[in-house]
Amino acid sequence: MSHRLYSAFKFAIPLLVLLLIWEFSVQFFQVNARVFPSIESVYRAGLEAVHDGSIFNHVAASLGRVAVGTLLAVLVSIPLGVAMGLNPIVSDFLSPLFRFFSVLAGIAWIPIATLWFGYGFGAITFVIFNAVFFVVTYNTLLGVASIPMPLRNAAASLGANGWTLLTQVILPGALPNIVTGIRTGLGFAWRGLIAAEMIATNVGLGYMLFLARDFYKTEVIVLGMIIIGLIWLAIDRLILAPVERATIERWGLVRRA
Amino acid sequence: MMILLKAWSYYLRIAAKFPVVQTILPFIPLVIAWALVTEYEVFPRAFLPGPVDVINAFGTLTYKGVLTQYLEDSVVRLAVGASVGVAIGIPLGLLIGLSDRVREAVWPILLFFQAIGDIAWLPILLVWFGFSLTTMTLIIVYTVLFPIVLNTSLGVRSVSTDLHRAALSLGASKLRVVWEVVLPGALPNIMTGLRNGLGYGWRALIATEIIVGTSGIGFMMFDARRAGSVVEILLGMVVLGTLWYVVDSWVLAPIERATGKRWGLVTQ
Amino acid sequence: MGSGYSMKNLTIQNVSKTYFDPYAGANVTAVHDISLKVNQGEFISIVGPSGCGKTTLLNMIAGFLPISGGSITIDDKPIKGPGADRGVVFQTFALFPWKTVGENVGFGPRMRGLPKKECDQIALEFLSLVGLEHVAQKYPNELSGGMQQRVGVVRALANNPDVLLMDEPFASVDAQTRMTLQEELTKIWQARRPTILFITHDVPESVFLADRVVVLSKGRVLEDMPIHLQRPRVWDQLIEDDTFKALSSQVLSKVRSA
Repeated sequence: MSHRLYSAFKFAIPLLVLLLIWEFSVQFFQVNARVFPSIESVYRAGLEAVHDGSIFNHVAASLGRVAVGTLLAVLVSIPLGVAMGLNPIVSDFLSPLFRFFSVLAGIAWIPIATLWFGYGFGAITFVIFNAVFFVVTYNTLLGVASIPMPLRNAAASLGANGWTLLTQVILPGALPNIVTGIRTGLGFAWRGLIAAEMIATNVGLGYMLFLARDFYKTEVIVLGMIIIGLIWLAIDRLILAPVERATIERWGLVRRA
Repeated sequence: MMILLKAWSYYLRIAAKFPVVQTILPFIPLVIAWALVTEYEVFPRAFLPGPVDVINAFGTLTYKGVLTQYLEDSVVRLAVGASVGVAIGIPLGLLIGLSDRVREAVWPILLFFQAIGDIAWLPILLVWFGFSLTTMTLIIVYTVLFPIVLNTSLGVRSVSTDLHRAALSLGASKLRVVWEVVLPGALPNIMTGLRNGLGYGWRALIATEIIVGTSGIGFMMFDARRAGSVVEILLGMVVLGTLWYVVDSWVLAPIERATGKRWGLVTQ
Repeated sequence: MGSGYSMKNLTIQNVSKTYFDPYAGANVTAVHDISLKVNQGEFISIVGPSGCGKTTLLNMIAGFLPISGGSITIDDKPIKGPGADRGVVFQTFALFPWKTVGENVGFGPRMRGLPKKECDQIALEFLSLVGLEHVAQKYPNELSGGMQQRVGVVRALANNPDVLLMDEPFASVDAQTRMTLQEELTKIWQARRPTILFITHDVPESVFLADRVVVLSKGRVLEDMPIHLQRPRVWDQLIEDDTFKALSSQVLSKVRSA
C-alpha cells in the first residue's frame, strides 16, 4: 500500500515543479493576463465556477454524454462483435469495414451528426457512440476470433453448449481485447467529445473552453484544460488501466491480437 | 451449400493473389445497401443522399479543382505538422528511453499533457496565434508528438542489454552505440509510433479544420453543413476514410511489418 | 598468419563486488575476494555453481560493472569501462539483427575507423575460420543457433582483443552442436593463441577446453587446477580417456563441495 503512495508521490513531483515554474514565469516576465493566467487567477476562476455551479453543469453534461454514448455503444458492439467473431468467414470479411470506420472515429461525424440530430445532446452522443462502437466491435471481433480453436473444441467436448460456451469460454477469452478496445474507444470518445462540444452545443467542457476564448478569459481556459486533463487521467489511470492489466494478467495465456 | 463453399474458396484464392480484393470487396455490399436505402427513401433525400450523388459531387468538385485543392491543403498541413512532431519526438523519445533520470522527471508531465488532449489546446492557441496556419500546425505537432515519444522510448528500452554491451566491447563509443544499436533496434517501435501518430494527427487535423478552418477537407464538410448540403459532407467522409485507409493499409502497415519482421521481432 | 596479439597479461587482484539489492533491502556481496593471473595466450575456464560470482567477475573484467574493491589490470594498466581490448562472446549471441553477418563481424574494425572494404575483407577472413564465408550476406535470424554463435565468436576475434571473455557461450545450443563448437574453439585457439577466459557451469566442457580450470565458490577462488591434457582435443578420444575422466571428477567434486 505504501509503495503505491510512494509512487503516486514521485509522480506528482515533476508536476509540482511545473506549477512552480509556471507561477515564477508569469510573475517574473510580467505576463499579460490575456496571454497566460497566473495560478491565482485560475484558482479564483475555479472557485467562482464552483460557486455559481457552472462547473458542475459543464462536467456533468460532458460526463453524461460520454457515459450514455459509451454505454449504448458497448451494449451494441460487444454482442455484435462476438457474433461476428465466432464465424471466421464473417470476421475476415467484415474486418476491413470496421477498420475503415474506426478511422472516421468521432470528429468526422460531427457535421452530419448535427444535420441529423440538430445541435446538442443527440448529435454529441451520436459522435461518442460512433467513436466507441467501431473500435470496440473491431476489438471484440478480433478477441473472439483469436481464441484458439482447440480451446473452443475442448470446452464443447466437455459438454459446454451455447450459453455456457459463451459465458465461460468466449467472453472471458475475448475479454482482454474487449477491455483494450473500450479503453481506446473511450480515448477517442473523450477527444471527440471536447471537439464536438466546441461547435455543437452550449454546455459542456469543450463549450466552456471555446466560450472563454471569445472573451480572452485565459484563466477559464486553463482551468478547463486542467480539469479535462485530470478527469481523463482519473478515468484512464485509475479505472481503465488497472482493469486492463487485471484482465490481461488473469487471462495472460490467451493470445492477444 | 457446396456452391457457397466453392465460391468462398475461389474468393480466398483470388484474395491471396490480390490482397486488394480482400480489402475492397467487403465495401461492395455496404455501398449496395447504401444505394438501396436511398433508393427507397428510407430517410429523406436531404438527409442521406445516395452513392451516385456522392460520386457526382466528387466529379464536379474535382473538375472545379476544389476538391484537389482542399485535399492538398489538408495533406500539406499534416505533412508539416508531422515532420516537426517527428523531428522533436524521436530525439525526445531517445533521451527518455536512454536516461532513467530524464524519464522519471518528464514522464508524469508527458502523461498529464497527453491527458489534456490535442483539441483542448485549440482555444488557447487561438488566443495566442489567431485563426492561422500556426495554430493548426501546432495542434498537429502536439498530437503527433505523444505516440512518437512514447513508442520511441519504449523501443529504446526494448533493445537488450547484451546488444549494448556487445557494441561497447567491440570498441564503439557511447554515442556510436546510440547510432548503431539503439536507433536501429528501436526502429520497429518508432514505425509503430509514426503510424499511430499520423493517424491521430489526421484526425486532429480534420477536427481543427471543422472548428476553425478556412480550407481543407474538414472545412469542406463543415461549410457544406452550414449550407445544408449533405452530399459534400458525405463526400468528405468518404475521401477522408479512403485516403487514410489506403495510406495506412498499403504504405504504413507494410513498412511497420517489414521492419519488425526483418528485425525478427514481430511474430504476428 | 601471425597472432597479432601483443604480450599482455591480465591480473585480477583481490577483486570484490558489493551492491545494494532493493528487493532484499540489503547489501549483497557477489564477489568476496578473487585474485587470478592470466598469462598471455592461456585458455582459462572458470566453473562454479550458480551464484558463485563467475558472471559478475566476467562483467567486471569486461567493464560492464564497476569494481567495488581490488583492481583489474592488463599489463599493470587498470581497465576503464568496456573496450575493444576485452572482447566478449554472449550466451544470447547478441548479433545485431539488422546487420548482415558480414557487417556484424566487420563491426569492430569499423569502429576502429577502417574503410568499409577492409572491414569486409577482415570479416570474410575470420568467417572462413569457421567455414561461414558463404553466409556473409545473410541476416542473423536466418542462421541456426550454432552458426550464430560461431559468428559471435569470430566477431569478437576479428577485433584482436587482448583478452576474449566468453560467458557460457554454448549454453543456448543443443548438445551435439555444443561439442562441435567446443572442438572448433580449441582448434581456433591453437592456431591463433588468443587469451581466453571461458565461463561455464558445465564441468566436462571446462576440462575439455582449458589449460587451467578455476573453481569459484561463494565469491572466492576454491581451486586453480592445471589441465595437462594433450592437444588437439577431440571428444571421441577424450570421452573414454582416463586422465580426462579423473580430472573431470576432481573438478566436479570440488564444485559440488562448494
